[in-house]
Parts: sequence; C-alpha cells; structure tokens
Amino acid sequence: MSERPVVHQSSGTVVHRGRMGTPASVATDVVSRRRPSSRRGFDQPRFLILFTALVFVYLFAPILVVTWFSFNSKRSLQVFGSLSLTWYDQLFHDPAITGSLLASIEVALVTMVVATTIGTLLAFGLVRARSRANRPTDILMLLNLVSPEIVTAIALLLVFSQAGAFLSQFGIQFGFSLVTVILGHITFSIAYVTIIVRGRLAALNREVEEAAQDLGATNTEAVRLVTLPLLWPAIIASGMLVFVMSFDDFVTSFFTTGTGVEPLPMRIYAMIRFGVTPEINAVGTLMMLITVIIVLAALAIFARQQNARQQLAFMAE
Amino acid sequence: MLAPGAVWLLLLFIAPFGVVILVSFGTVDILGKPVFGWYPENYQQVFDPIFVPVILRSVAFAVATTLLCLVIGYPVAYMIARYGGRFRNLLVVLVILPWFADYLVRIYAWIVILGDEGVVNGVLKALGLHGNPPVVFVNTSFAVVGGLVYDFLPFMILPIYAALERMDPSLIEAGKDLYGTPLQTFRYVTWPATIQGVVAGAVLVGLPAVGDFATAQILGGPNTYMIGNLINDQFTGGGYWPFGAALTIVLMALLSLLMIFYLRSASRPPEAAA
Repeated sequence: MSERPVVHQSSGTVVHRGRMGTPASVATDVVSRRRPSSRRGFDQPRFLILFTALVFVYLFAPILVVTWFSFNSKRSLQVFGSLSLTWYDQLFHDPAITGSLLASIEVALVTMVVATTIGTLLAFGLVRARSRANRPTDILMLLNLVSPEIVTAIALLLVFSQAGAFLSQFGIQFGFSLVTVILGHITFSIAYVTIIVRGRLAALNREVEEAAQDLGATNTEAVRLVTLPLLWPAIIASGMLVFVMSFDDFVTSFFTTGTGVEPLPMRIYAMIRFGVTPEINAVGTLMMLITVIIVLAALAIFARQQNARQQLAFMAE
Repeated sequence: MLAPGAVWLLLLFIAPFGVVILVSFGTVDILGKPVFGWYPENYQQVFDPIFVPVILRSVAFAVATTLLCLVIGYPVAYMIARYGGRFRNLLVVLVILPWFADYLVRIYAWIVILGDEGVVNGVLKALGLHGNPPVVFVNTSFAVVGGLVYDFLPFMILPIYAALERMDPSLIEAGKDLYGTPLQTFRYVTWPATIQGVVAGAVLVGLPAVGDFATAQILGGPNTYMIGNLINDQFTGGGYWPFGAALTIVLMALLSLLMIFYLRSASRPPEAAA
C-alpha cells in the first residue's frame, strides 16, 4: 500500500513524460496509449473486464440467490411466489434457532474481548520488549496461523476430553459446552489480532511516544495517552474481525461443542443435512447481514486510521 | 506482556497437539475412551488400500482447486491491479466480501443453485429439457472441487494482486518496447515478477483445501470422500479415535511438507526478469 504512490509516480514519469496524475488518470492513460496492433491476447482489457465481471457474478450469485429465495412465500427453489417474510417469522418463533443465535453472539463477544486483549499484549511484547522469548513466541504464533483448522480442532477435542476425564477423578465436571467452544475460538483468534496490531504498532513513530516522555509522561502514561489512542482503530478492527470469524466458525465449533445449546452454524449444518429448507436461506441471509455490517464498519475504521496515520506522518515532518 | 499469549498458545495449541500424537499411538478401553500405549499399527491402517484413495483424492482435489483458482484468479487480480484505477480498493473489498458470508451458507448456496431441486434445474425443466433432473451436480467430484474453488478463490486473488501492485508497470511497457508479444511479456516479465504472489496464493488455497471437510460433506457423497471426512467419521461417527488421531498427524505432516516447500521458494530471491 505504502509503495503505491511511488509506483504511480514512476509510471507517471516514464509513461507520461513527467506528467503526474491521479491513479485513475494513470490507468486510463495507459489504456489509451496502447498500440492497437501489438497488444492483443490476454492483455486486452476488454476481455479482462468481461472475464472479471463474470467472476464477480460467480462470487456474488450464490449469495444473492440465497437472499432472494429467503423472501419467497413458497417453499420451492424453482417457483417464486411473492415477497414475504414467512421464513423469518418462523425463524424467530423457533426457540432452537433464537437460542443458537444468542449463543453464537455470546461466544463471539467473549472471544472478541479476550482474544483482542491477549493479542494486543502479545503485539506490544513482540514489538517493544526485546526478550529472548520473542522469536519462539513469534514462531508459535505463525505455526498457529498456518495450522489447518481441522487439526487444531481435533487437538482441542482430544485435550478437552482428556481434561474432562482427569478432572472427574476429583469430582469436577468439565464437559463440552459453549465454554470449550469459546476456548477454541480464542485459540485461533489471538494470532490474527497480534498480526494486525503489530503491523500498526511497528508503523507508529516511536518518537511521538518519546516526545510524551520528554514532556514528563511516565512510560505507562505515554502508552495510555499517546500510543493506545493511535492504536485503537487497529485494535477495534481486529476485534471485529475476530467477532466475525468466531460468529461464522464451523470447524472448531463442530469439534468442541457440547450437547446443550449449540452455536448457530451447528444448527445450520443440522438443517442442511436434514434437507433443503427455506429457513436456511433466511438464517443465512441474517448471518450475512450481521457479518457484512461488522466487516464494513471494520473497513471504515481501518481506512480512517490510515488517513489519521498519514496526517500524523505529515505533522511529524 | 508476551506471557498470556504465549502460555495460552502453549496450553491450547502445542500441548493439545502433543495429546494428538500420544492418542495416535494409543488404543481404546471398553467404553471407547482413548488409552495411551504403543500401537504403531494405527499408522499402518492409514496406508491401508481402503484409505489410500481417500488421501490421494484429497490431494488431487486440492491441486485441482489450486489450479482452477489460479486460472480464474490471476486475470482478475491483473485486471484490478492494472486497470482498476480509482476503483481498485473497492474491487478488492468486493473480492473478499462474499467470503465473509457464513462458510456453510456459501457451500449450501450451490445446492440452491445447482441441486436436483435447484434454480438451474427448474429453469431447464421449464425449457423442456429431459432427464430427471437435467443437471446432476450434488454428489459429484465436480461439485466438491467447484465448492472448494468458491470457498478459497479470494485467497488466490489477494496475494497475486498484492504482487502485481508491487511490480513496476513500466516493466511491462519495457517488455513491449523490446517487441515482446503479450505472451512473451507475460511469460518473461509479469509472471516471474509475481511468482511469489502465486506461490503464496497456492499455499493459502491448497493447505486449507486438503483438510476441508464441510464442502465434501455437504456437496459430495461416498465417492468424493476426503481425508477430513474420514477424520470426522472417527471422532463424531462413533469411530476409532486413535485412528482418527493418526490420520490427523498424517494430514499435518502432508501439509508441513507443502509448507516447507513454500518457505524454501519464498526465501529464494525472485527470478530476475531477464
């Protein structure tokens, strides 16, 4: 991202003989300057644009079809009756689904708070503290990030069942429940928070913090009054990402959930196995709505933060 | 400050992995609960002629998924990076946005579209096409690979896009000024400059695809069983836990090999654009 202006500038000087332009004008100029005869084949934007448009149709069609049929008054996927909220109405009168929806939100919120806290601390530790534990911790985190979810989920299933068997000897009940789901979700979320927050922390100008200290702030005060406010957008954005990942998670929940109230994706899985029912379209649409709102909010915060960072860099000059 | 995170990951990521290894060499008691021991035959069973095709199929599906994602994803990334103009960021957001719809719903959506009772078959029947249903999609390998491609396509597009964006576009102009055909320019300039993005995309798509099981569970049937389904059966279908643990370890070893291959190629300096 940060390299982009440089690239444009150089293409501006090379292609346009010193004329600078906005990204848009650079792109259109490049297109219009193409010599017609020698630039055929896959570099032909018309073909590329058509192909890209088709891929976007492919990416969005399934989602739009599910959303559309969630408003179908008929049970069929082939005949569209009239627009209706029948399936949403049924959904909200099904205690199993509303219970699961609340459980999923609860799990996602707890996961978000705990994982964001631990992940942010970890980021601070990795960037600021020069300890010998840095490198092993870093490797631990990256391993966690690249491990396939089914492997980590099975590992959690085994360790929780062993822990349950062990604790039952002392009369302590520890079984699979929403608590084990939350423990699993936190485990896969920490690394994402750390990577996002660490990126911002490393990009921050350390001098701002030092300036605060020169003005008499203690180390803690400098972090609390200067660094944290600059970091909040990254922390909030990563928290939202964690919320969405936890809320939508299937694999880890599947192997760590108990027999009680299950997270919503488990309910959806059971419904899909049972057969195609229009309620799935409605639940799916609802989940997408919740997720997309949160993701767009996170993106907006992230974009604002970048602007703020640019302003800060400008001020620092 | 490292402590909470490091301890958490040690307790709930590394230690559990150790438990998987222990269980994979164990056996079970009368109640079916795992008991530790030394039974390497659990691993022999993994390479039983019944199960080898499942492992090979998982790898084949993952390779097919990766290649399809590359063929579909590269032109899209190229288009956004080179001709996206001021819509670039918006287009990148649009690429990733569908991925945030619930994983199961995204898979299930393909039953809505291409299932026996789905939208496409409805249209074809209305057009008077014969066959019952006219298009058989669910329970085929095509459905599983198609579902996997849909699951992971954004992870191929994004790293290639990042690599293309890092690349100086004047290199392509230079290739053309040297009378390179578009194909030659692509082959000798663009492709080598973005190979790291391609490899990163292949890892991001290929690794999760090998271990995926929900896609084959929902869109596939007995003929499309993947290693993930087999593992799932051991743990949730009243199967044999030590065998499931051994399968998990074999899967992890397989993926680690791919990972090492990736790290080696990533640490190699990028090929010079001749």
